[in-house]
Amino acid sequence: MILEIDKSKCVGCGNCHAICPMGAISLDADGKSVVNQDECVECSTCYRVLRDEGYWPPFVKAVRSVLTFLHLQYLAAVDVCPTGALTPPDLEYPRSLRAAFSDPTVVHAGTGVGGRGTEEIKTNDVTGRLREGDAGIVVELGRPGTGARFRDVEKVAMALAPLEPQFEPFNPVTQLMVDTETGKMREEILDEKVLSAIIEVKTRLEKIPDYLETLRAIQDETDAVFSVGIASKCLPDGSIPHEKWVREAGYTLSPNGKTNLGLGRPLFREDGR
Amino acid sequence: MTNTLHRQGAVDGLSEDYVIFVTMARDINRDGSAPKIHEFLRICQKHNPVNIGSSKMGTVLQDDVSFQGLVTGLKDGSTSAAVFTDLDTLKKVLAELIEADLGISINVSGLLEGVQECCHSNGIERHSVEHSLGFWGSRDRLPERDVLEINTLCGHGMVSFSLIRKMMEQVKMRRLTPREAAEIMGRCCECAVFNTTRAEHLLEKVLET
Repeated sequence: MILEIDKSKCVGCGNCHAICPMGAISLDADGKSVVNQDECVECSTCYRVLRDEGYWPPFVKAVRSVLTFLHLQYLAAVDVCPTGALTPPDLEYPRSLRAAFSDPTVVHAGTGVGGRGTEEIKTNDVTGRLREGDAGIVVELGRPGTGARFRDVEKVAMALAPLEPQFEPFNPVTQLMVDTETGKMREEILDEKVLSAIIEVKTRLEKIPDYLETLRAIQDETDAVFSVGIASKCLPDGSIPHEKWVREAGYTLSPNGKTNLGLGRPLFREDGR
Repeated sequence: MTNTLHRQGAVDGLSEDYVIFVTMARDINRDGSAPKIHEFLRICQKHNPVNIGSSKMGTVLQDDVSFQGLVTGLKDGSTSAAVFTDLDTLKKVLAELIEADLGISINVSGLLEGVQECCHSNGIERHSVEHSLGFWGSRDRLPERDVLEINTLCGHGMVSFSLIRKMMEQVKMRRLTPREAAEIMGRCCECAVFNTTRAEHLLEKVLET
Protein backbone atom coordinates (compact mmCIF):
# COMPACT_ATOMS: atom_id res chain seq x y z
CA MET A 1 0.00 0.00 0.00
CA ILE A 2 1.33 3.44 -0.93
CA LEU A 3 0.70 6.74 0.82
CA GLU A 4 -2.91 7.68 0.16
CA ILE A 5 -5.43 10.29 1.16
CA ASP A 6 -8.71 8.85 2.35
CA LYS A 7 -11.27 10.67 0.22
CA SER A 8 -14.06 9.82 2.64
CA LYS A 9 -12.24 11.92 5.25
CA CYS A 10 -10.44 14.62 3.24
CA VAL A 11 -12.04 18.07 3.42
CA GLY A 12 -9.69 19.64 0.87
CA CYS A 13 -8.03 22.09 3.26
CA GLY A 14 -4.77 21.92 1.28
CA ASN A 15 -2.38 21.84 4.23
CA CYS A 16 -0.71 18.70 2.91
CA HIS A 17 -0.01 20.39 -0.45
CA ALA A 18 2.51 22.81 1.04
CA ILE A 19 4.11 20.26 3.36
CA CYS A 20 4.92 17.80 0.56
CA PRO A 21 8.63 18.20 -0.37
CA MET A 22 7.90 17.01 -3.91
CA GLY A 23 4.77 19.07 -4.51
CA ALA A 24 3.07 15.76 -5.28
CA ILE A 25 -0.27 16.54 -3.63
CA SER A 26 -2.93 18.64 -5.31
CA LEU A 27 -6.66 19.22 -5.31
CA ASP A 28 -8.66 16.80 -7.44
CA ALA A 29 -11.74 17.69 -9.47
CA ASP A 30 -13.92 16.60 -6.54
CA GLY A 31 -12.33 19.19 -4.25
CA LYS A 32 -10.35 16.62 -2.29
CA SER A 33 -6.61 16.14 -2.19
CA VAL A 34 -4.91 13.49 -4.25
CA VAL A 35 -1.32 12.17 -4.35
CA ASN A 36 0.53 11.96 -7.65
CA GLN A 37 1.94 8.50 -7.05
CA ASP A 38 4.65 8.83 -9.68
CA GLU A 39 6.06 11.95 -8.03
CA CYS A 40 5.55 10.88 -4.40
CA VAL A 41 8.82 9.71 -2.83
CA GLU A 42 7.15 8.10 0.21
CA CYS A 43 8.99 10.35 2.66
CA SER A 44 5.88 10.42 4.90
CA THR A 45 6.53 14.05 5.83
CA CYS A 46 2.83 14.82 5.41
CA TYR A 47 1.81 11.93 7.64
CA ARG A 48 4.39 12.68 10.33
CA VAL A 49 4.15 16.46 10.48
CA LEU A 50 0.45 17.22 10.09
CA ARG A 51 -1.23 16.62 13.43
CA ASP A 52 -4.42 14.61 13.19
CA GLU A 53 -7.11 16.79 14.76
CA GLY A 54 -9.53 13.88 14.56
CA TYR A 55 -12.60 15.88 13.62
CA TRP A 56 -15.60 14.19 12.08
CA PRO A 57 -15.46 15.19 8.36
CA PRO A 58 -19.19 16.15 8.06
CA PHE A 59 -18.72 18.47 11.06
CA VAL A 60 -15.76 20.25 9.43
CA LYS A 61 -17.67 20.60 6.15
CA ALA A 62 -20.75 21.91 7.94
CA VAL A 63 -18.75 24.53 9.86
CA ARG A 64 -17.12 25.66 6.65
CA SER A 65 -20.44 25.90 4.83
CA VAL A 66 -21.90 28.05 7.59
CA LEU A 67 -18.85 30.33 7.66
CA THR A 68 -18.91 30.67 3.88
CA PHE A 69 -22.62 31.50 3.98
CA LEU A 70 -21.95 34.23 6.56
CA HIS A 71 -18.97 35.53 4.54
CA LEU A 72 -16.69 34.74 7.47
CA GLN A 73 -13.29 33.18 7.35
CA TYR A 74 -11.80 30.67 9.75
CA LEU A 75 -8.03 30.98 10.17
CA ALA A 76 -7.05 27.31 10.31
CA ALA A 77 -3.74 26.08 11.68
CA VAL A 78 -1.30 25.26 8.89
CA ASP A 79 0.24 22.15 10.45
CA VAL A 80 -2.82 19.95 10.91
CA CYS A 81 -4.87 17.45 8.98
CA PRO A 82 -8.27 18.23 10.50
CA THR A 83 -9.75 14.80 9.83
CA GLY A 84 -6.75 12.44 9.82
CA ALA A 85 -7.19 11.62 6.14
CA LEU A 86 -3.58 10.63 5.48
CA THR A 87 -2.93 6.91 5.37
CA PRO A 88 0.65 5.75 6.00
CA PRO A 89 2.24 3.46 3.42
CA ASP A 90 3.21 -0.18 3.71
CA LEU A 91 5.50 -0.63 0.73
CA GLU A 92 6.85 -3.46 -1.36
CA TYR A 93 10.08 -3.55 -3.36
CA PRO A 94 11.07 -1.68 -5.49
CA ARG A 95 8.76 1.11 -4.31
CA SER A 96 10.06 0.59 -0.77
CA LEU A 97 13.35 2.12 -1.96
CA ARG A 98 11.53 5.45 -2.17
CA ALA A 99 10.97 5.44 1.59
CA ALA A 100 14.45 4.10 2.33
CA PHE A 101 16.04 7.02 0.46
CA SER A 102 13.52 9.70 1.40
CA ASP A 103 12.28 9.08 4.92
CA PRO A 104 15.12 9.72 7.41
CA THR A 105 13.42 7.57 10.04
CA VAL A 106 13.82 4.47 7.86
CA VAL A 107 17.06 2.52 8.35
CA HIS A 108 18.72 1.11 5.22
CA ALA A 109 18.70 -2.67 5.47
CA GLY A 110 22.05 -3.06 3.73
CA THR A 111 24.04 -0.63 5.89
CA GLY A 112 22.05 -0.37 9.11
CA VAL A 113 22.24 3.42 8.81
CA GLY A 114 19.29 5.82 8.68
CA GLY A 115 19.09 9.04 6.66
CA ARG A 116 20.71 8.47 3.28
CA GLY A 117 22.29 5.33 4.63
CA THR A 118 26.00 5.99 4.83
CA GLU A 119 28.47 6.82 7.60
CA GLU A 120 30.96 8.45 5.15
CA ILE A 121 33.51 10.60 7.06
CA LYS A 122 31.34 10.81 10.15
CA THR A 123 33.04 7.73 11.57
CA ASN A 124 36.34 8.05 9.71
CA ASP A 125 38.24 8.31 13.00
CA VAL A 126 37.36 4.70 13.84
CA THR A 127 36.80 3.11 10.42
CA GLY A 128 39.75 4.52 8.47
CA ARG A 129 37.47 4.74 5.46
CA LEU A 130 39.60 7.60 4.13
CA ARG A 131 43.31 7.30 4.83
CA GLU A 132 46.34 9.43 4.08
CA GLY A 133 46.32 10.33 0.38
CA ASP A 134 42.66 9.39 -0.11
CA ALA A 135 39.87 11.67 -1.19
CA GLY A 136 36.21 10.95 -0.60
CA ILE A 137 33.73 12.37 -3.08
CA VAL A 138 29.99 12.36 -2.44
CA VAL A 139 27.53 13.24 -5.17
CA GLU A 140 24.00 13.54 -3.82
CA LEU A 141 21.44 13.43 -6.61
CA GLY A 142 18.16 15.24 -5.92
CA ARG A 143 19.51 17.49 -3.24
CA PRO A 144 18.48 20.12 -2.33
CA GLY A 145 14.76 19.50 -2.30
CA THR A 146 14.21 18.50 -5.92
CA GLY A 147 14.33 14.70 -5.92
CA ALA A 148 15.89 12.34 -8.44
CA ARG A 149 15.22 9.05 -10.17
CA PHE A 150 17.69 6.19 -10.05
CA ARG A 151 18.03 6.67 -13.81
CA ASP A 152 19.78 9.99 -13.02
CA VAL A 153 21.86 8.32 -10.31
CA GLU A 154 22.97 5.66 -12.77
CA LYS A 155 23.90 8.23 -15.38
CA VAL A 156 26.30 9.98 -13.01
CA ALA A 157 27.68 6.71 -11.61
CA MET A 158 28.37 5.43 -15.12
CA ALA A 159 30.10 8.69 -16.04
CA LEU A 160 32.41 8.32 -13.03
CA ALA A 161 33.09 4.61 -13.51
CA PRO A 162 35.82 4.98 -16.21
CA LEU A 163 37.89 6.86 -13.62
CA GLU A 164 38.05 3.57 -11.71
CA PRO A 165 36.70 4.82 -8.39
CA GLN A 166 36.17 2.61 -5.42
CA PHE A 167 32.42 2.86 -4.92
CA GLU A 168 31.96 2.67 -1.15
CA PRO A 169 30.66 -0.82 -0.35
CA PHE A 170 28.77 0.31 2.79
CA ASN A 171 26.67 2.75 0.83
CA PRO A 172 23.11 1.86 -0.23
CA VAL A 173 23.54 3.21 -3.77
CA THR A 174 26.59 0.99 -4.34
CA GLN A 175 24.57 -1.94 -3.04
CA LEU A 176 21.97 -1.32 -5.76
CA MET A 177 24.57 -1.52 -8.53
CA VAL A 178 24.70 -4.69 -10.59
CA ASP A 179 28.25 -3.87 -11.65
CA THR A 180 30.55 -1.53 -9.75
CA GLU A 181 32.99 -1.56 -12.70
CA THR A 182 30.44 0.23 -14.87
CA GLY A 183 28.13 1.89 -12.30
CA LYS A 184 25.15 0.09 -13.87
CA MET A 185 22.18 -0.19 -11.52
CA ARG A 186 19.36 -2.70 -11.21
CA GLU A 187 16.98 -2.29 -14.12
CA GLU A 188 13.78 -2.54 -12.05
CA ILE A 189 14.65 0.46 -9.87
CA LEU A 190 15.55 3.03 -12.54
CA ASP A 191 12.17 4.79 -12.56
CA GLU A 192 11.87 4.95 -8.80
CA LYS A 193 12.03 8.49 -7.51
CA VAL A 194 13.68 9.44 -4.22
CA LEU A 195 14.28 12.68 -2.36
CA SER A 196 18.01 12.12 -2.76
CA ALA A 197 20.61 9.38 -3.11
CA ILE A 198 24.34 9.59 -2.53
CA ILE A 199 26.98 8.18 -4.85
CA GLU A 200 30.06 7.79 -2.67
CA VAL A 201 33.49 7.12 -4.07
CA LYS A 202 37.01 6.87 -2.76
CA THR A 203 39.92 7.87 -4.93
CA ARG A 204 43.39 9.40 -4.62
CA LEU A 205 43.81 13.11 -3.99
CA GLU A 206 45.59 13.70 -7.29
CA LYS A 207 42.58 12.39 -9.20
CA ILE A 208 40.24 15.03 -7.78
CA PRO A 209 40.52 17.31 -10.88
CA ASP A 210 39.50 14.40 -13.16
CA TYR A 211 36.40 13.71 -11.08
CA LEU A 212 35.37 17.35 -10.97
CA GLU A 213 35.85 17.68 -14.72
CA THR A 214 33.70 14.58 -15.28
CA LEU A 215 30.97 15.94 -13.03
CA ARG A 216 31.12 19.30 -14.79
CA ALA A 217 30.60 17.54 -18.13
CA ILE A 218 27.75 15.29 -17.00
CA GLN A 219 25.81 18.06 -15.29
CA ASP A 220 24.48 19.28 -18.62
CA GLU A 221 23.15 15.83 -19.45
CA THR A 222 20.97 15.32 -16.41
CA ASP A 223 17.63 16.77 -15.36
CA ALA A 224 18.60 16.35 -11.73
CA VAL A 225 20.20 18.78 -9.35
CA PHE A 226 23.09 17.34 -7.39
CA SER A 227 25.23 18.42 -4.47
CA VAL A 228 28.91 17.65 -4.40
CA GLY A 229 31.00 17.14 -1.28
CA ILE A 230 34.67 16.33 -0.93
CA ALA A 231 36.53 15.01 2.09
CA SER A 232 39.90 13.85 3.31
CA LYS A 233 41.74 12.91 6.46
CA CYS A 234 43.61 15.90 7.88
CA LEU A 235 47.37 16.00 8.22
CA PRO A 236 48.81 15.99 11.77
CA ASP A 237 48.84 19.81 11.79
CA GLY A 238 45.13 19.91 10.95
CA SER A 239 45.55 21.06 7.35
CA ILE A 240 43.17 19.68 4.76
CA PRO A 241 44.86 17.81 1.89
CA HIS A 242 42.04 18.08 -0.64
CA GLU A 243 41.89 21.90 -0.54
CA LYS A 244 44.94 22.32 -2.78
CA TRP A 245 43.61 19.94 -5.44
CA VAL A 246 40.17 21.50 -5.55
CA ARG A 247 41.56 25.03 -5.81
CA GLU A 248 44.03 24.05 -8.51
CA ALA A 249 41.16 22.56 -10.48
CA GLY A 250 39.47 25.96 -10.35
CA TYR A 251 36.65 25.29 -7.90
CA THR A 252 35.59 27.18 -4.81
CA LEU A 253 35.35 25.53 -1.42
CA SER A 254 32.57 26.39 1.00
CA PRO A 255 33.55 28.31 4.16
CA ASN A 256 31.48 25.83 6.15
CA GLY A 257 31.67 22.07 6.23
CA LYS A 258 31.81 19.05 8.41
CA THR A 259 34.58 18.30 10.87
CA ASN A 260 35.17 14.88 12.40
CA LEU A 261 36.76 15.72 15.74
CA GLY A 262 38.62 12.42 16.12
CA LEU A 263 37.04 11.51 19.46
CA GLY A 264 35.83 8.02 18.46
CA ARG A 265 37.48 4.95 19.97
CA PRO A 266 39.26 2.73 19.17
CA LEU A 267 40.97 5.26 16.94
CA PHE A 268 41.87 3.75 13.57
CA ARG A 269 45.63 3.62 13.05
CA GLU A 270 47.08 3.24 9.60
CA ASP A 271 50.17 1.53 11.01
CA GLY A 272 47.91 -1.16 12.46
CA ARG A 273 49.08 -0.62 16.06
CA MET B 1 24.61 13.31 8.18
CA THR B 2 25.75 14.63 4.85
CA ASN B 3 22.47 16.24 5.78
CA THR B 4 24.32 19.16 7.37
CA LEU B 5 27.04 19.65 4.76
CA HIS B 6 25.42 21.95 2.26
CA ARG B 7 23.91 24.67 4.47
CA GLN B 8 23.73 27.86 2.45
CA GLY B 9 24.21 31.49 3.37
CA ALA B 10 26.70 34.27 3.86
CA VAL B 11 29.32 33.97 6.58
CA ASP B 12 27.22 36.26 8.75
CA GLY B 13 24.32 33.81 8.83
CA LEU B 14 26.53 30.73 9.01
CA SER B 15 28.27 32.17 12.05
CA GLU B 16 25.16 31.41 14.11
CA ASP B 17 24.82 27.86 12.89
CA TYR B 18 26.73 24.96 14.44
CA VAL B 19 25.42 21.41 14.47
CA ILE B 20 27.11 18.85 16.70
CA PHE B 21 26.21 15.21 16.28
CA VAL B 22 27.26 11.68 17.13
CA THR B 23 27.49 8.74 14.77
CA MET B 24 28.37 5.18 15.69
CA ALA B 25 30.26 2.79 13.42
CA ARG B 26 28.79 -0.55 12.51
CA ASP B 27 30.75 -3.49 13.96
CA ILE B 28 33.04 -1.13 15.88
CA ASN B 29 31.32 0.92 18.55
CA ARG B 30 27.61 0.79 17.80
CA ASP B 31 26.76 -1.96 20.29
CA GLY B 32 26.34 -0.61 23.78
CA SER B 33 26.37 3.01 22.58
CA ALA B 34 22.98 4.04 24.02
CA PRO B 35 24.34 5.28 27.41
CA LYS B 36 27.02 7.28 25.57
CA ILE B 37 24.46 8.92 23.31
CA HIS B 38 22.39 9.63 26.41
CA GLU B 39 25.39 11.39 27.99
CA PHE B 40 26.06 13.31 24.77
CA LEU B 41 22.51 14.61 24.75
CA ARG B 42 22.62 15.45 28.46
CA ILE B 43 25.78 17.52 28.00
CA CYS B 44 24.33 19.33 24.99
CA GLN B 45 21.04 20.01 26.75
CA LYS B 46 22.87 21.71 29.64
CA HIS B 47 23.98 24.40 27.20
CA ASN B 48 20.51 25.24 25.85
CA PRO B 49 20.65 24.17 22.21
CA VAL B 50 18.06 25.68 19.88
CA ASN B 51 17.24 22.17 18.69
CA ILE B 52 18.07 18.70 19.92
CA GLY B 53 16.95 15.22 19.00
CA SER B 54 17.62 11.96 17.30
CA SER B 55 16.63 10.73 13.86
CA LYS B 56 14.93 7.72 15.41
CA MET B 57 12.97 9.70 18.00
CA GLY B 58 12.46 13.10 16.38
CA THR B 59 13.11 16.61 17.63
CA VAL B 60 12.00 18.25 20.85
CA LEU B 61 10.20 20.78 18.65
CA GLN B 62 7.60 18.10 17.97
CA ASP B 63 4.62 18.04 20.34
CA ASP B 64 5.02 14.37 21.21
CA VAL B 65 8.77 14.45 21.92
CA SER B 66 10.16 15.55 25.28
CA PHE B 67 13.83 15.63 26.23
CA GLN B 68 13.30 12.93 28.85
CA GLY B 69 11.37 10.77 26.40
CA LEU B 70 14.11 11.27 23.86
CA VAL B 71 16.80 10.11 26.23
CA THR B 72 14.93 7.12 27.61
CA GLY B 73 13.72 6.00 24.18
CA LEU B 74 16.91 6.06 22.19
CA LYS B 75 18.76 2.87 21.40
CA ASP B 76 22.26 1.82 20.38
CA GLY B 77 23.35 3.56 17.19
CA SER B 78 20.82 6.41 17.28
CA THR B 79 22.43 9.30 15.44
CA SER B 80 21.71 12.32 17.62
CA ALA B 81 22.29 16.02 17.20
CA ALA B 82 22.08 19.43 18.83
CA VAL B 83 22.23 22.89 17.30
CA PHE B 84 24.04 25.88 18.80
CA THR B 85 24.21 29.44 17.62
CA ASP B 86 27.59 30.65 18.88
CA LEU B 87 31.16 29.49 19.12
CA ASP B 88 31.61 30.21 22.81
CA THR B 89 28.88 27.76 23.71
CA LEU B 90 30.23 25.23 21.24
CA LYS B 91 33.64 25.48 22.90
CA LYS B 92 32.10 24.74 26.30
CA VAL B 93 30.10 21.80 24.95
CA LEU B 94 33.19 20.41 23.29
CA ALA B 95 35.23 20.76 26.48
CA GLU B 96 32.68 18.71 28.38
CA LEU B 97 32.45 16.09 25.67
CA ILE B 98 36.22 15.68 25.63
CA GLU B 99 36.20 15.38 29.41
CA ALA B 100 33.44 12.75 29.22
CA ASP B 101 35.54 10.69 26.77
CA LEU B 102 32.52 8.95 25.29
CA GLY B 103 34.49 7.06 22.64
CA ILE B 104 31.96 7.64 19.86
CA SER B 105 32.55 9.71 16.74
CA ILE B 106 31.56 13.34 17.15
CA ASN B 107 31.26 15.73 14.21
CA VAL B 108 30.51 19.42 13.96
CA SER B 109 29.04 21.12 10.92
CA GLY B 110 29.66 24.85 10.68
CA LEU B 111 32.21 27.43 9.67
CA LEU B 112 35.41 25.42 9.43
CA GLU B 113 37.66 28.11 10.85
CA GLY B 114 35.42 28.50 13.87
CA VAL B 115 35.29 24.77 14.51
CA GLN B 116 39.07 24.58 14.15
CA GLU B 117 39.38 27.35 16.74
CA CYS B 118 37.16 25.35 19.10
CA CYS B 119 39.35 22.28 18.61
CA HIS B 120 42.54 24.22 19.35
CA SER B 121 41.12 25.95 22.39
CA ASN B 122 40.31 22.49 23.73
CA GLY B 123 43.71 21.04 22.88
CA ILE B 124 42.68 18.69 20.07
CA GLU B 125 43.36 18.58 16.34
CA ARG B 126 40.58 17.80 13.84
CA HIS B 127 40.64 14.36 12.24
CA SER B 128 38.83 14.71 8.89
CA VAL B 129 37.06 17.48 7.02
CA GLU B 130 34.41 17.57 4.33
CA HIS B 131 33.65 20.61 2.17
CA SER B 132 30.66 21.38 0.02
CA LEU B 133 31.31 22.21 -3.62
CA GLY B 134 27.77 23.47 -3.99
CA PHE B 135 24.95 22.56 -6.32
CA TRP B 136 25.43 21.23 -9.84
CA GLY B 137 23.20 20.01 -12.66
CA SER B 138 19.79 21.53 -13.38
CA ARG B 139 20.19 24.49 -11.07
CA ASP B 140 17.33 26.29 -12.79
CA ARG B 141 15.10 24.01 -10.70
CA LEU B 142 16.35 25.58 -7.49
CA PRO B 143 14.29 28.19 -5.66
CA GLU B 144 15.20 31.75 -4.75
CA ARG B 145 18.17 32.25 -2.41
CA ASP B 146 16.24 32.99 0.81
CA VAL B 147 14.10 29.87 0.35
CA LEU B 148 17.22 27.80 -0.32
CA GLU B 149 18.90 29.07 2.85
CA ILE B 150 16.01 27.82 4.96
CA ASN B 151 15.55 24.60 3.00
CA THR B 152 19.18 23.54 3.48
CA LEU B 153 18.83 23.81 7.25
CA CYS B 154 17.34 20.33 6.84
CA GLY B 155 19.52 18.63 4.26
CA HIS B 156 17.20 15.65 3.94
CA GLY B 157 14.82 18.06 2.26
CA MET B 158 11.92 17.62 4.68
CA VAL B 159 11.13 21.34 4.70
CA SER B 160 9.57 21.87 1.30
CA PHE B 161 10.10 24.96 -0.83
CA SER B 162 6.34 25.51 -0.84
CA LEU B 163 6.06 25.31 2.96
CA ILE B 164 8.86 27.88 3.29
CA ARG B 165 7.08 30.24 0.89
CA LYS B 166 3.83 29.69 2.77
CA MET B 167 5.53 30.49 6.08
CA MET B 168 7.02 33.65 4.55
CA GLU B 169 3.54 34.71 3.46
CA GLN B 170 2.06 33.97 6.86
CA VAL B 171 4.78 36.04 8.51
CA LYS B 172 4.24 38.91 6.08
CA MET B 173 0.52 38.84 6.80
CA ARG B 174 1.30 38.78 10.55
CA ARG B 175 -0.62 35.55 10.96
CA LEU B 176 2.47 33.90 12.42
CA THR B 177 5.48 35.37 14.15
CA PRO B 178 8.88 34.47 12.66
CA ARG B 179 9.47 32.28 15.72
CA GLU B 180 6.21 30.36 15.27
CA ALA B 181 6.87 29.84 11.57
CA ALA B 182 10.43 28.68 12.27
CA GLU B 183 9.16 26.11 14.78
CA ILE B 184 6.55 24.74 12.38
CA MET B 185 9.29 24.23 9.79
CA GLY B 186 11.61 22.76 12.41
CA ARG B 187 9.08 20.05 13.21
CA CYS B 188 9.49 18.68 9.68
CA CYS B 189 13.18 17.96 10.26
CA GLU B 190 13.29 14.59 12.01
CA CYS B 191 17.03 14.67 12.69
CA ALA B 192 16.79 17.87 14.77
CA VAL B 193 19.45 19.73 12.78
CA PHE B 194 17.12 22.56 11.72
CA ASN B 195 18.35 25.80 13.29
CA THR B 196 15.17 27.57 14.39
CA THR B 197 17.00 30.71 15.47
CA ARG B 198 18.65 31.15 12.10
CA ALA B 199 15.35 30.44 10.34
CA GLU B 200 13.67 33.00 12.57
CA HIS B 201 16.27 35.62 11.62
CA LEU B 202 15.83 34.83 7.94
CA LEU B 203 12.06 35.22 8.31
CA GLU B 204 12.53 38.54 10.11
CA LYS B 205 14.22 39.80 6.96
CA VAL B 206 11.02 38.98 5.07
CA LEU B 207 9.23 41.47 7.29
CA GLU B 208 11.74 44.15 6.35
CA THR B 209 11.13 43.77 2.61
